[in-house]
Amino acid sequence: MKKYLLLPFLLVVFGAAGVLNSCKKDADSQPTVGTVSLELANMVGTQPLALDGTAYSTASGETFTVSTLKYYISNITFAKADGSTYAAPGEYHLIDASKSASTNFTVSKVPTGDYTGVSFVVGVDSTTTKGDPLALSGDLNPANAMYWAWATGHIFLKLEGTVTSASPNKALVCHIGGYRQPYSALVTAAPSFKGSTLQVRSGTTPKIRLSADVLKIFDGPTRFTLSSFPTTMMPSAASVQVAQNYAAGMFAVAGVQAN
Amino acid sequence: MAFRATSTSWLGIALSVAALLGAVSCGKGGSGGEDPTPTPAKPTAYTLTVPAGFPTPVVPADNPLTNEGVALGRKLFYEKALSSTGTMSCGSCHQQSKAFTDGLPLAVGVDGVANPRGTMSLTNVLWSTQLTWDGAFTTLETQAQKPLENPIELHQLLATSVAKLQASAVYPPLFQAAFGTNTITTDLTLKALAQFERTLVSGNSRYDKFMQTRTGFSADERAGLQLYTTHIAPGSVRGAECFHCHTQPLMSSNYEGKFFNNGLDLTFADPGRGGLSKLAVDQGKFIAPTLRNIALTAPYMHDGRFKTLDEVLDHYSDHVQMASPNLDPNLILGINDPPFGTHMDLTATEKRQVIAFLKTLTDSTFIADKRFSDPN
Repeated sequence: MKKYLLLPFLLVVFGAAGVLNSCKKDADSQPTVGTVSLELANMVGTQPLALDGTAYSTASGETFTVSTLKYYISNITFAKADGSTYAAPGEYHLIDASKSASTNFTVSKVPTGDYTGVSFVVGVDSTTTKGDPLALSGDLNPANAMYWAWATGHIFLKLEGTVTSASPNKALVCHIGGYRQPYSALVTAAPSFKGSTLQVRSGTTPKIRLSADVLKIFDGPTRFTLSSFPTTMMPSAASVQVAQNYAAGMFAVAGVQAN
Repeated sequence: MAFRATSTSWLGIALSVAALLGAVSCGKGGSGGEDPTPTPAKPTAYTLTVPAGFPTPVVPADNPLTNEGVALGRKLFYEKALSSTGTMSCGSCHQQSKAFTDGLPLAVGVDGVANPRGTMSLTNVLWSTQLTWDGAFTTLETQAQKPLENPIELHQLLATSVAKLQASAVYPPLFQAAFGTNTITTDLTLKALAQFERTLVSGNSRYDKFMQTRTGFSADERAGLQLYTTHIAPGSVRGAECFHCHTQPLMSSNYEGKFFNNGLDLTFADPGRGGLSKLAVDQGKFIAPTLRNIALTAPYMHDGRFKTLDEVLDHYSDHVQMASPNLDPNLILGINDPPFGTHMDLTATEKRQVIAFLKTLTDSTFIADKRFSDPN
């Protein structure tokens, strides 16, 4: 009698131990990863960007207002001091200055470690932007008004407003995109951590606080005056110059926080 | 896997037994006898079909779509007891045959008084993050209260409507089925209406078929689509700029949630978005409504000033008030014939082509879909 009771008991205990063991093993077999939070503060010089008609000044004293600022951040790569990098797959984020929720996002499954730099494409890589528009979802969907039909792909950065120092007032329209040479506007920004370290650990969410300065769109390797700022709407030499400007200086790391 | 090692036969048995025990322990009630109190049937999830290429819709977590809720909402949508006179329902102004508009320049309520603006189409309203011409509401649940109670619309307080529904023989069981209670409230009434509205999906037009197959368009329709989606490069590329505001695939700005001054006037009798935000930069701005089913939703603009699509194209081509404050920059810059052109200046052929394209946005299955019709 005892035998008959003992056998199923042992079998069940063994089975349960097996299940528990398998759970533990699965957890152990995964590399340890953490989540990184990114936060964008859209600025004009030292002032926070407002879309309410506030007029801002350029270095040369021209004034303008902003009604729309939207741009993509994708292909985010974290770099370590030893030169190794981690490229986060599948990250496409549309930052829209009119939607505060869009200025915060997280990148998950970043291998733990100490990172000393970050870089990202301001725009959408050619493989993705060339894809079937019917298959584009989420932030990449054409309904976000960041997409050109007819094979030109996404608008990488859109700035709209008014040049108020011009008489009569002039439209400020800057739609940058295009991935084909010679007018590829695909650029990468790599704002410096300035010596800070991003400590990625499982269970914590360190944050990179970035600022994005609208003035740097006009002022970088190429300096544009607003009175003659080109209406860059199609891929062109000017749109490449604008892209090089915002790649060079628009994004800066305002801080790296541990958690 | 945990058990990669070669197993003896008893191990196999042990696993089988463990699995069996697990299956039994997870089983629902087993043979433990029937529950004596019948549990009320839960509403069943409504299967929403999202057309190819449309964004993923956001449905509020506290009001999921259910077959019972949608059916109740449909009945309420066509319920004339929701008006003070018993003569009008939501469906009186939102007529399915006209893609849920009324054919009038300005909406007219139960007392025969006209609204300052026209009835908006409910086509794909599920995707609208900003509702009504000026974005006064951001959820369908909150929006529906206004036309129901507004004295120049259905003119009946929701509390009165709820009392009428509660007193009827028909509605309490329908609320029971949809929401698990036969106590009718304003909240549940609005939720049911919103559920029905969210099912009004139109994505089966000839345009949609063209996007999937790249075939089936006439030369004019194709040229019209090209104009629709092209930004003007002055002097080199001709376009009609439509897509900036009427963004694909919804052909509206409702998803993006933006408002525009499209140059109708130099001064604004209706401040539009500016009336809400009180900002100077928003004066005269309105949502760009969907162009899906646009051939069915005449007359056009927030005040119905244009009777035909020809008049609309004439406006954008030739009559935009270029000095209007806050005029959309894409219209300011959209000049096809520099340096002497002062407006978009589409040719007669181009206008005809754009209109030919706009007519491909008509979805004949949408206006014939029995699921959206009056069940009463």
